[in-house]
Amino acid sequence: MTQNLSIPLSDLQPGDQGEVIQVKAQGQIRQRLLEMGFIRGARLRVEKLAPLGDPMELVIKGYHLSLRRDESACILVHRVA
Amino acid sequence: MSLTIALAGNPNCGKTTLFNALTGSRHHVGNWPGVTVERRSGAFEQDGLTLEVVDLPGTYSLAARSEDERVAAQFLASPEVDLVLNVLDASNLERNLYLSTQLLELGKPVAFVLNMVDDAESRGVHIDVAALETLLGGPVIPTVGNRAQGIPELKALLAVLARGESTRCRRITVDYGHDIEGELAKLETEICRDEKLEEAMPPRWLALQLLENNAEAKRRVAESHASEAISQQLTKSFAFLEPHLGADGATLIAERRYGFAHGLVKEVATAPDEGRTPTARLDAVLTHRWLGIPIFVGILALVYSVSFILGKIPQDWIAEGFKALSDFAGAHLPAGELTSLLVDGVIPGVSAVIVFVPVIMILMGCIAFLEDTGYMARAAFIMDRLMHVMGLHGKSFIPLIMGSGCNVPAIQAARTIESRQDRLITILVTPLVSCSARLQVYIVIAGTFFTPFKAALAIIAMHFLGLGLAVLMGRILRSALFAGPSSPFVMELPPYRLPVLKATLIHMWEKGSVFLTRAGTTIFAGATLIWFLSRYPGIANQEWTAQYQEQRQAVAALKLPGAEEEDRLRALQLAHESRIVNTSLAARLGQKASPLLRPILDPEHKRAEAWKDVIALTAGFVAKEIVVSTMAVIHQASDEPKAGERLSPLQVSLRDNSGLSPLTALAFMVFTLIYTPCLGTVAMIRREAGSWGWAGFTIAYGLVLGWGLAWVTVVAGRALGFA
Repeated sequence: MTQNLSIPLSDLQPGDQGEVIQVKAQGQIRQRLLEMGFIRGARLRVEKLAPLGDPMELVIKGYHLSLRRDESACILVHRVA
Repeated sequence: MSLTIALAGNPNCGKTTLFNALTGSRHHVGNWPGVTVERRSGAFEQDGLTLEVVDLPGTYSLAARSEDERVAAQFLASPEVDLVLNVLDASNLERNLYLSTQLLELGKPVAFVLNMVDDAESRGVHIDVAALETLLGGPVIPTVGNRAQGIPELKALLAVLARGESTRCRRITVDYGHDIEGELAKLETEICRDEKLEEAMPPRWLALQLLENNAEAKRRVAESHASEAISQQLTKSFAFLEPHLGADGATLIAERRYGFAHGLVKEVATAPDEGRTPTARLDAVLTHRWLGIPIFVGILALVYSVSFILGKIPQDWIAEGFKALSDFAGAHLPAGELTSLLVDGVIPGVSAVIVFVPVIMILMGCIAFLEDTGYMARAAFIMDRLMHVMGLHGKSFIPLIMGSGCNVPAIQAARTIESRQDRLITILVTPLVSCSARLQVYIVIAGTFFTPFKAALAIIAMHFLGLGLAVLMGRILRSALFAGPSSPFVMELPPYRLPVLKATLIHMWEKGSVFLTRAGTTIFAGATLIWFLSRYPGIANQEWTAQYQEQRQAVAALKLPGAEEEDRLRALQLAHESRIVNTSLAARLGQKASPLLRPILDPEHKRAEAWKDVIALTAGFVAKEIVVSTMAVIHQASDEPKAGERLSPLQVSLRDNSGLSPLTALAFMVFTLIYTPCLGTVAMIRREAGSWGWAGFTIAYGLVLGWGLAWVTVVAGRALGFA
């Protein structure tokens, strides 16, 4: 894996893969994201954006999940080739 | 002997199907105390034991943040639960096991159901059940819930476990590593200073929640006399863990739980096949960038037509049936109070309740179908952007659109929205969406005062006004009631599945019967009250009744041909009813209250009959379409047009005698759209929002908003030179 910059998940494009570095959200949202599998090192793949451009669909821990830009912007990831 | 089993699991893990398979059709559906989360329980007999099963709301965690999670966590910790049955989706094992790591901390025996093993197999995931049993420390039964496979084995196992004869339950918990375990032990020691706290739940479980910074756990501790010691220890633990392990407690604990789940899955399951799943292939079309929205609109149109066009057929039968019954009773019973109570009070009241049932059952069936297939999550995914701008959730879209058919099932449909905030806002704004009953009022009024083309425009404008107001109120309510961040939109897109027909039918039946028993009484009571207000004291006037009877006999004595006699009798009946209603308590109230409506319905103080509108609108509280039939009675003119005429006698009377102008008629329509939800809707709001307060709030804001907008219509219209 190439070590590259940490970027918000919302910057990944459909088809991109990433690895979670950190969840920056606080409070309720943070706990929810952790429970849904956004823990350090978790691999994810962005599947697509909704027809109106938001939310995004991604695959993490083998299941499909949708997140609004509000939430995906506070998850830091590495891009993984 | 009776024992209670709690059924716990993630959403979409097939829990409810399994619940149905275990308990057959003997269910009890209600709400959990104090919240509007559905509580389903049922029982089955096995080896002479009665086993009570409670289906908990599907949750991803027991962190007690949402209503669902709080209900599940509280019930699981209560002494009522003898055994926890954790349903696991075999095709999504890792995330499902996260909840299991929490359930295992509760200190109760836990058994596992590995559900949907067929789905997993088809994706190439083979699971070693024996190894899973060993690692989870509890018995595991593989099942295919929708084909009832594994159910007899499961029932037998539950009976054995319930009798305490099994040695298969060992206590296994996640090992959080040396550092965290050390802090947990210290916290436990402090927690055990308070016996009450120690008894309420296992101290380790409470300690874990504290390290996760869980608000509910902290509140619990704050009530304890040992709270100071516990908080001090917690601060110390945080100060030690964060720099030491490089993350906060919540992250560390989640990581360890997923570490446990991940390791376990690696041990017992083969990796899924590469390649696209059937779900991915379907989603390539259903949530496609260009096709997604048209397909969604098509599905919505289909659901709408099935519910409101197909559903209208049995609805009409019911309405006509009750009308015939009421006519029959009216014609054959002597005129008087009791007959009126039956004919004008009880029968229409019962009819007003039952008439909703077909539409509710069909629409709820469609929605359950969409939900069970997994499409509902896609619908929310597609519409969320639009709805988010309006301060709502993607799942609010369907209730709002269905509201244009009928608000009552639309409010019930809001159940699919998980977040309490989003659901409440959706419920509160849905009544603004113009329903088909209000359409009947517009048709009469607009048809009277406008040319056909302008009437059509005015009616369309009412529908857009309703939707626009719903959006606006959504935004206002969001910022006024729930200041702060909106609830997160973290929504699973579950694999598509074929729903079980039986489950859909059970669901439809439950929704229909819940409506009849819970909302039915409210509607019935309201309808009776309105009857009382609009008939007394005239109905008890013996003299009038006697006069009416004499007139009828006089007509009968003329021996006119059938049709003419019928017309004459109908005219007499209308005159009699009109006399009663126009002198009733409602009429007196109307006369008292008409100054309130003067600015919007009679700006020039020229209308002698403005009070009649008040009676019609008051009666419209029962159901909006009653506004028309009440007007027919008050104005003593039938609302059915004679052959070959465009306007009905009622419309002619409104045009010539009521004093309404096109502008005030428009204001009347605006007011009818907004002023109050009908009784059925009010009853449903009370049930779905969980309090009379919200139902009252909806009526109050409707009255204020309706008055305000009707007033704006009149003032703006006059300024623009309309009359």
